[in-house]
Amino acid sequence: MSDKSEADTIKDIHWLMDILQNIDVGLVVLDRNYEVQLWNAFMEGHSGVSPQLAKGKNLFSLFPDLDEAWFKQKAEPVFQLKTRTFTIWEQRPYLFHFRNSRPITGRSKFMYQNTSIIPLESVTRQADHLCVIIYDVTDTAVGKLDISRANQTLSEIQVRDTLTGLMNKSAWLTVLESYYASQKQGCLLLLDMDHFRDLNHALSHQQCDEILRRIGAGLKTLGDEQHAARFGGEIFSVILAEKEAEEAMQIAEKLRRSVFSLGKNSQHTISASIGVAERLADTPSASEWLSNADKALYHAKESGRNRTSLFKR
Amino acid sequence: MSAAAIINEDQRDCYQELTNVAMGQAADRLARLLNAYVVLPIPKISVIENSDLNMALQGATSDNSVSAVCQGFIGAGISGEAMLMFNDASFASLASLMKYSGPLTQAAELELLMDTASVLIGACIHGIGDQLEIVFNQGHPVVLGQHCDMADLVAYGNNGWDKALAIEIHYTIEHVNIECELLLLFTEESVRALNKKIDYLLD
Repeated sequence: MSDKSEADTIKDIHWLMDILQNIDVGLVVLDRNYEVQLWNAFMEGHSGVSPQLAKGKNLFSLFPDLDEAWFKQKAEPVFQLKTRTFTIWEQRPYLFHFRNSRPITGRSKFMYQNTSIIPLESVTRQADHLCVIIYDVTDTAVGKLDISRANQTLSEIQVRDTLTGLMNKSAWLTVLESYYASQKQGCLLLLDMDHFRDLNHALSHQQCDEILRRIGAGLKTLGDEQHAARFGGEIFSVILAEKEAEEAMQIAEKLRRSVFSLGKNSQHTISASIGVAERLADTPSASEWLSNADKALYHAKESGRNRTSLFKR
Repeated sequence: MSAAAIINEDQRDCYQELTNVAMGQAADRLARLLNAYVVLPIPKISVIENSDLNMALQGATSDNSVSAVCQGFIGAGISGEAMLMFNDASFASLASLMKYSGPLTQAAELELLMDTASVLIGACIHGIGDQLEIVFNQGHPVVLGQHCDMADLVAYGNNGWDKALAIEIHYTIEHVNIECELLLLFTEESVRALNKKIDYLLD
């Protein structure tokens, strides 16, 4: 072996050491007692713990927040089976609590991490050390979380009315069909604002939206078992589950009065007409039931508005 | 060209033999991890087309609700992907074997899935690699889905491959209800390189 090749080897090792120091992943070597043997610049930079301080210290006493039992469950197979193990941010967002490496424009406060834990063999072929490699996957994680949130919003939009948060018409009609099919008794309620077009001219659109939003909020207080929806424009529909006509009419009257009270301090009259139809023994279909409620609503409008009507044959 | 033409009969037998050895090593690791007897199946070697992947997956487990992770690996210019699928009914038994306490939430199941995947996939691909003198480097595992329909696991569409060599290994654990399927997939270019290594062994 010539001196030159030895010098070359030393140079190579020097280069490799430089690269390991500067590479943008965390490298930690631990012995069998989980004491730190190597701590690269990435780890120093993000944790503020210098290699001198870390060396020889137990990992769990250096970082008390680190879940010891969990980490050992991942690390023990590495020692025992000489196999590589992995953790991903979906399991735990991070192993070490580091701040986002982009403190200003980053969208998460902390760094999401994936880790690989690899066995390091000694000359006796025993895995008596392991290396934890820590990858910063914040951008990937944030992107993936964004997408799943967006997808959830999309599926919400398909069934929800965005203004009131109630079900939309098509979702409600599906609920109505299955409610009808379940053979349960109950009443349908249709609420239509009176002269809403005039109100639209007299008030601002925001004010009209606010009225609709308040009616929606009022319907929500009926509870989830009473399925309420914004049927369209200024029409609302409710399945009053397992309510008889009399009780349904009381609920309807209360609703009508509370809509009327929205105009109490305004120079404009705010009112609604309501039609109620009980499911009768011979109501042949969900759509017939709905059309009965519609007839009752028409009757309420015809007899002067701001009133409640019950469907009668 | 028929689908099977990217490997010949001798090569197929050789892949089968390589897998037998590798999955035996993997099963041994799994048995030590779980402290249970792992039933050794016969691996199935086949060549599948891109459009058949879903069908191949469908045949993989008897249950339709599954959880799966995949992991890419590469070495000597040969790249492949390993997929590990668990029948969702397996998790309760797996949790008790791995001595996981606490409720079996989706997060706990993910831990079980990841722990098992690390051991099984690693041992299996290194077992194959050792015999062919290839050091495979594993990428990070990616969750394909939890509690999802088998058909939704892999999105349709051209991912840039037409044919792939598929090695299917169906693991079961004796006396308990644990069923999982390990699938190793190599794309056509990688199979060409693998075949060269195999032919060298066959000579």
